Amino acid sequence: MKKALVKDTIKEIKNTYRRFISILLMALLGVGFFAGIRASSPDMLSTIDNFFKESNVYDIEVISTLGLTEQDIEELKNIKNVEQVYGTYSQDSIINIEDTESVAKILCVEEVNKPLLKEGRLPQNENECVVEPEFLESNNKKIGDKLEVEINSTTNDEGEEISFLKQKELEIVGTVESPLYISRDKGTSKLGSGKVNYYLYVNKENINATDVYTEIYIKVKDSNKYITSSKEYEDYINEVKEEIENVKQNREESRHNMLVDKATEKLEEAQKTLDDEITKAEDEFEKANQEIQSGKNQAENGQLEIDKNKKKADNQFASAQKQLNNAKSQIQSGEEELKAQEEQANRQIADAQNLKSKYQTDLSSVVKGIEEINVNYKQILEALKNPNLQENQKEGLERTKKELEKKIADLEGSRQQLESGINQIDQSIEYAKSQIETGKQKLQDSKEQLTSQENSLQSKKQTAYSEIKNAQKTIDESKEKLSQGESELKNSEQEFNEKIEEAQEELDNERTKISDIKTPTWYILDRNSNQGYTSFIQDTKSVESIGAVFPIVFFLIATLISLTSMTRMVEEERTQIGTLKALGYSRRQIASKYIIYASLACVLGGSLGMVIGCQLLPRIIWMMYSMMYKIESFVVEFNWLYSIIGLIAAYICIVGATIYASLKELTQNPAILMRPKAPKNGKRVMLERIPIIWNHLTFTRKVTVRNIFRYKKRFLMTIIGILGCTSLIVTGFGMKDSIMAIIPNQFEKVFQYDLQISIKSELGNKKKEDLLKELNQKEEIERIIETNIISGNLVKNDNKEEVQIIVPKDKSELEEIISLNNEKTKQKEDIKDDEIIITSKVAQLIGAKENDIVKIKDSDEEEKEFKVSAIVENYVGHYVYMSKDLYEKEYEKYKTNVLYVKDKDLTQDEEDRLVKEIVEKEEVSSVTSLETLMKTINDMMSSLNYVVIVLIVSAGILAFVVLYNLANVNISERIRELATIKVLGFYDKEVYNYIARETVILTIIGIILGLFAGYFLNMFILQTCEINALRFAKIVKPVSYLYSVLITIIFTLIVNIVTYFSLKKIDMIESLKSVE
Amino acid sequence: MPYIEFKNVVKEYEMGEVTIKALNNANFEIEKGELVVIVGPSGAGKTTALNILGGMDSVTSGKVTVDNKRVDKLKNKELIKYRREDIGFVFQFYNLVQNLTAKENVELATEICKDSLNPERVLKQVGLKNRMDNFPAQLSGGEQQRVAIARAIAKNPKLLLCDEPTGALDYKTGKQILKLLQDTAKKENMTVLIITHNAALAPMANKVISFKNGKAQNIKINEKPVPVEEIEW
Repeated sequence: MKKALVKDTIKEIKNTYRRFISILLMALLGVGFFAGIRASSPDMLSTIDNFFKESNVYDIEVISTLGLTEQDIEELKNIKNVEQVYGTYSQDSIINIEDTESVAKILCVEEVNKPLLKEGRLPQNENECVVEPEFLESNNKKIGDKLEVEINSTTNDEGEEISFLKQKELEIVGTVESPLYISRDKGTSKLGSGKVNYYLYVNKENINATDVYTEIYIKVKDSNKYITSSKEYEDYINEVKEEIENVKQNREESRHNMLVDKATEKLEEAQKTLDDEITKAEDEFEKANQEIQSGKNQAENGQLEIDKNKKKADNQFASAQKQLNNAKSQIQSGEEELKAQEEQANRQIADAQNLKSKYQTDLSSVVKGIEEINVNYKQILEALKNPNLQENQKEGLERTKKELEKKIADLEGSRQQLESGINQIDQSIEYAKSQIETGKQKLQDSKEQLTSQENSLQSKKQTAYSEIKNAQKTIDESKEKLSQGESELKNSEQEFNEKIEEAQEELDNERTKISDIKTPTWYILDRNSNQGYTSFIQDTKSVESIGAVFPIVFFLIATLISLTSMTRMVEEERTQIGTLKALGYSRRQIASKYIIYASLACVLGGSLGMVIGCQLLPRIIWMMYSMMYKIESFVVEFNWLYSIIGLIAAYICIVGATIYASLKELTQNPAILMRPKAPKNGKRVMLERIPIIWNHLTFTRKVTVRNIFRYKKRFLMTIIGILGCTSLIVTGFGMKDSIMAIIPNQFEKVFQYDLQISIKSELGNKKKEDLLKELNQKEEIERIIETNIISGNLVKNDNKEEVQIIVPKDKSELEEIISLNNEKTKQKEDIKDDEIIITSKVAQLIGAKENDIVKIKDSDEEEKEFKVSAIVENYVGHYVYMSKDLYEKEYEKYKTNVLYVKDKDLTQDEEDRLVKEIVEKEEVSSVTSLETLMKTINDMMSSLNYVVIVLIVSAGILAFVVLYNLANVNISERIRELATIKVLGFYDKEVYNYIARETVILTIIGIILGLFAGYFLNMFILQTCEINALRFAKIVKPVSYLYSVLITIIFTLIVNIVTYFSLKKIDMIESLKSVE
Repeated sequence: MPYIEFKNVVKEYEMGEVTIKALNNANFEIEKGELVVIVGPSGAGKTTALNILGGMDSVTSGKVTVDNKRVDKLKNKELIKYRREDIGFVFQFYNLVQNLTAKENVELATEICKDSLNPERVLKQVGLKNRMDNFPAQLSGGEQQRVAIARAIAKNPKLLLCDEPTGALDYKTGKQILKLLQDTAKKENMTVLIITHNAALAPMANKVISFKNGKAQNIKINEKPVPVEEIEW
């Protein structure tokens, strides 16, 4: 290299700094992008690798369906290359703070998976805990505050319910970040909303349920030598995993036996207790029976006696009655006799009475006579008393007196006789009367006596019979009681028997349960089972894929740019080249100037690009991902490998283009070179042959059209540049559109239900029906559809993918909540009775087509063949739809385990409430709300905006560099032409339009092609970085095309403004002075 | 008042630290319809004077008047308008747009002028009736220069400025071109300025201005210009 040439080169750079810079910029972009994006993935990997190494994160995790024991740990420790085995405990809990309920996973601070202390200190006592910083923030708590956790009790090996923690009121002593939860999503829980919101570390001392470990973490010897997720690491860990697989069965069985033994022992004890109880109860029943029997006997005896007594009383009363009857008849005959006597007496009395009345008549005449006499007598006496009476008279009176006296005396005598006769008659009447009276009396008396006797007999009879009756009643009662007691006894015996039977049944159940105690399954997992880790690694892969595509676009454009720039440069210096050649410089020497020029631009730009790219791009990409992951320190390493590869690639592209451009000229001989290069000849273009179009174009348009076709290279370059720009922007937006569209596509278009309720598997039919009935009654719920979902693997040839197999109870119902639309035709598909439907992504992954035969491998590793009837649209996860009939034919009896719920347009709050209500039911194991799920994913994906921005910025730089460079080339190549039209008196604007019209047309073509290219680039990138579980929608929204067009136009405008001023500065005189 | 007046015009170029005076108090006058030949050695300032007159360059000081218009005072846009409407330029290297046919090259100029002439007629006039649809690359040098002249004339300018129009042409062709210019000036009564370093051409002009060291040193008026055909050199 001659000095003169070096100087010339340096001067050249100074003079053509714009060209130099544009090549430099292209190298910068190419290398920067390549190295930067390529470095991002390793940087991300280093970041997680460092974090995991520092936190001593497990290599292998073992969990078991029935917990893990100390023996398991001992066994695992013996495995080759196992360095350390940690048994630990974890459990989900509920934390209520104010009105919000959140689910927190309780973990123990261990040497493995060490949480990174952010603030405060780690828990040292039973009653201390540390939380994640977000917990303090969102719950308004600070270090030193207390919180209380609610935990469901756990069942220990003895079957007792015990508390998981000793202390449930915990003091927050610090904040930490867990390496196990690097993503915002912390997995699902059976508690609360069904999602783990926080994690919380306690001191191991605080664990109460230490019977079995919930997890075992294994650190593999020397695993830190490898970078996590690298093939070496995976292989190394897999070796150890295989070793563990070997002891797995043994350990599972041993755990099974242990549980069976314990349960059997307990069962036998219970059986014995039950048997004892039965014997005791049977004795008691025997005794009670006997008692009843003796009571019965007694009652029988009493009855007999009563009967006897009654008979006796009957006899007695009958004879008494007889006597009474005799007496009665006697009385009757007496009465009759008495009556006859009375009649006779009465007749006698009447005779006497007659006599008496004769006597009495006699008497009264006597009395009358007496009285008459007496009157005479008294007159006599009176007359006697008269002292003036003459004795004769006296005497005569006296004699009459005496006579009278005698007559009176006579009369008196008769009278007395009469009176005594009357008396006698009276007396005899009286006598007769009294005689009858007495007879009557006597009869009466005996009658009375009889009556009283009768009465007394009657009363006696009554008393006797009522006594008998009472006795009978007593007996009856006691009999009643006895029979009651008997039936009661019978009942209670029956009841007891039932109970015993039940207890026995229960025991028998327990017994079958023991035989049913499934051998636990060990799951031997590695870091890939950690959700955060896996998605992080997946993301590093996506970044890597993007890194594979984008730089190619830049390199391609860098090559084209260098090619045009350098060709132009060589052309401009044609004469000089000719001169140098004539002077005797070798081709290589002459070319070296351009090579050095290009190399300098390339190396300078490339080195700058390396530094900027490796520092900036990983950080920008990290910025996006740091929203999703909680990893503190991002490791930015200068990636020599990719930087050098990028630089070499750029060098080959740029310098290669330069060599190509200079060789083209250099091969010509000096004489030709020193002559001005014949300007590119004008040519008619195709369009001129179509007069209809051509004749309608204005003059300037014609010029434009011809110019466009004249400079084909530039034409191509501009279009490619614009195309690249537009397509990058379309891709940016398209990626966002496509990924965002997954959510509505899956959760609105495909899945149309609102909630998915998993019910506990052991739930009986009755309880399930009750639950259904209860849910159906809820006002908020419109529809419930029962289905069965099981996991399995879909297999075709060597390809295997995990799928969820949905078996609806009623396939016509399923249509209401899941649309099964054919992937291609978009027509609705029905689940056929003997064929299955699979979703599109899994079909693609395993390479299955319609009517192919695929296999489903269930959890027991059993494979069954099915025919695929259709492939349907689906965006998240993989599903197989199978009819109930087919399921029952191939597998067991159909049983539902999931309820799809469609609610009645609830607000978020209402739905949250509903979810909470449902999840609290003991029959329900988890509830997933599509709304919440969608929100979470949406939040996660908001970082996609950064991808779009990065792409737009790089597209902008690209567009700018390309257009600016082209504009410069364009101007310099056509400077005479431009100067000429300026001289002709074109206004600045007209000059600008003269050039810009071409650019505008090319830009429009570029944009249109770019929209197509963008569509395909987007598809390609989505294809490349599509996650297995997802089917990107692969759409670009119309508005995104619009944005892309607008943004490209803005970039073009900026370049055009710059061009405008460059054109204005063209010096007419200089340009026209000489031949180029 | 003459049609064109160049009065005390000074033009300085800054070349790094050196200041070069391309015109140093140049003075001349031209009347309407005159054919003027400007002669002089390289660097005498003739092209600079022509450029200034053509509105392509500015003056450092002095007064330039064309048809009562102070060209030295015109602003950029007015200058363009001046070039557009008043000036026709013919260059040594034709400066045709390669991508346009002969006719289109003329149209390029007529498109932007108000009182332009019919391009086809002008081309016929310059003798290119049959080459109208040819691209410059398909034309000889003389033909190309005819196109250039046609392009300049078609604008119907007040002033036709020609900078060494025959410089790249052979004797015969050059003569034809000069004849075309002379005829045009006479026929159209157009004011034409021709720069040449060939002093032998002087007799064809109405006025000959000799430049030396940035000054119009000698202005000679030919009362009777000689037709170009008669001039031999």
